[in-house]
Amino acid sequence: MKTHFKALARFRKALLPVFGLSLLLIGASAVVRLDLMDLVRGLPRGLALLRHMVPPEWSAMPRMVGPAIETVQIAFVGTGFGIVLAFVFSLLAASNVNANRALRELARGIMSAERALPDLIVILLFVAIVGLGPFPAVMALSVSAIGMLGKLFADAFEEVDPRSLEALAAVGASKMQVIQYALIPQVMPSLIANSLFRFEVNIRLSIFLGVVGAGGIGSELIMATRLLNYRTALSAIIVILVLVMVCERISDALKKAVIGHEVLQ
Amino acid sequence: MKRRSLFNTGLGVVLFVAFVWSLVDLGISPRLFWRGLPHFFRLVSEMFPPSWEVLTEPDILWSVVETLSMAFLGTFFGAAAAFVLALWAASNLTPSRLVRETVKALMAAERSMPTLVVVLVLIVVIGLGPFTGMVTVAIGSIGMLGRLFAEAMENVDPRPLDSLKSTGASKLQIIRYAVLPQVVPSLIANTLYRFDINLRTVLFLGVVGGGGIGFHLHLAMSLFRYADALAITAVILSVIWMAEQLSNHLRSVVIGRETLR
Repeated sequence: MKTHFKALARFRKALLPVFGLSLLLIGASAVVRLDLMDLVRGLPRGLALLRHMVPPEWSAMPRMVGPAIETVQIAFVGTGFGIVLAFVFSLLAASNVNANRALRELARGIMSAERALPDLIVILLFVAIVGLGPFPAVMALSVSAIGMLGKLFADAFEEVDPRSLEALAAVGASKMQVIQYALIPQVMPSLIANSLFRFEVNIRLSIFLGVVGAGGIGSELIMATRLLNYRTALSAIIVILVLVMVCERISDALKKAVIGHEVLQ
Repeated sequence: MKRRSLFNTGLGVVLFVAFVWSLVDLGISPRLFWRGLPHFFRLVSEMFPPSWEVLTEPDILWSVVETLSMAFLGTFFGAAAAFVLALWAASNLTPSRLVRETVKALMAAERSMPTLVVVLVLIVVIGLGPFTGMVTVAIGSIGMLGRLFAEAMENVDPRPLDSLKSTGASKLQIIRYAVLPQVVPSLIANTLYRFDINLRTVLFLGVVGGGGIGFHLHLAMSLFRYADALAITAVILSVIWMAEQLSNHLRSVVIGRETLR
């Protein structure tokens, strides 16, 4: 009898999530008008698209180099400023650096608010303020880094061995000296690894930013698809894929060079 | 040691020079910042008070439902596809090295594929609309989730697997009784995490024509209706906040329950 109840209870426990999930799936499918026929109907269109795309417009490639470099520059400069901003915020937010609790809570609050803010809102805001071009893109990327990088930096600071900080403070080192000689050397590998990761995120964002008018390879792609120039679009896609992969490889190599070397020390 | 520090200094110098060159080449100067400042104040003054009445428009409310549906379904189908692929990528479930490496390479290729490329191709193939957004999100989830799922499967305790195998259990039985019970908490936790990411991705898709609340935000900003934009932003933030609370709660339920066992 008792096992009977138990089985029933377990059955109900498993049934409820499954039932809820199915209900959600059915509802959401109706909302997005999920129709597998769309995929089936899309198949010939996909094949047609492939025919229009291949071969890529190789003559358009030289034209793409400039925008591709611009995309990397936007991501690079945005990452640079983002690191600086995140560094300042994380110093203010780390409990072993900043003794002022109110200020610390404020810095943490700003960082988590920024993390909650979708990048799209930040980007559209800066486009509205400073107009089109690379400048709003760089600002948006810099500000977007505060939340994520700032938190990672602050967490790294707080994990630092406190004895080394105390030892320096005990011999009368100033706050700046403690930061420079005890804190930074210990967190450097993690700062660099996280910054490189942010750079990879920024490359993708920077490609997307072309859609909202920042220029770069993203706007080449969207322009080509809007003009139904599918062969040029494929050239842009190839450039984008190469760009992303090269940046990932470089970032991986740097990460290994820096971290491997620090761990050995 | 000395060569190392020389290498680091050299790298630092190269990065710094590249930074300054990029700044100059992009034409970024503090002047642009000061020039933008009055715009900023005008923007803020036009944003307030937010026009809450847009929130009563059925279009806006529907687009919130649409956004959530796209993210939810995209995550669900993406996770389902990632699960199947992960079975073929895990070394303890798929003996064939060729199959494993092929699937892994496909997933890695997907991870390097920017969402913009995926969505623009799908818009041509399927057309504009929420269905396209959903498929984009699903495809975008496969690379990351597939890798995480495969890692989780590879890290299971091998003993239940081996003992089932020795009793002559079929592949499906092994997956169902030895692998699934061990990986389900981590699968669900990672899927919930991906849902948070996908919700933000869907916002971006609105800008290129994927529909949803992101489209309305972009529209309001392009038409200089900043008070509307602020109200829509408030809606977006509260939806994201609620979704995160829910997924955190679900995650702690799933993981907490499993660790107690």
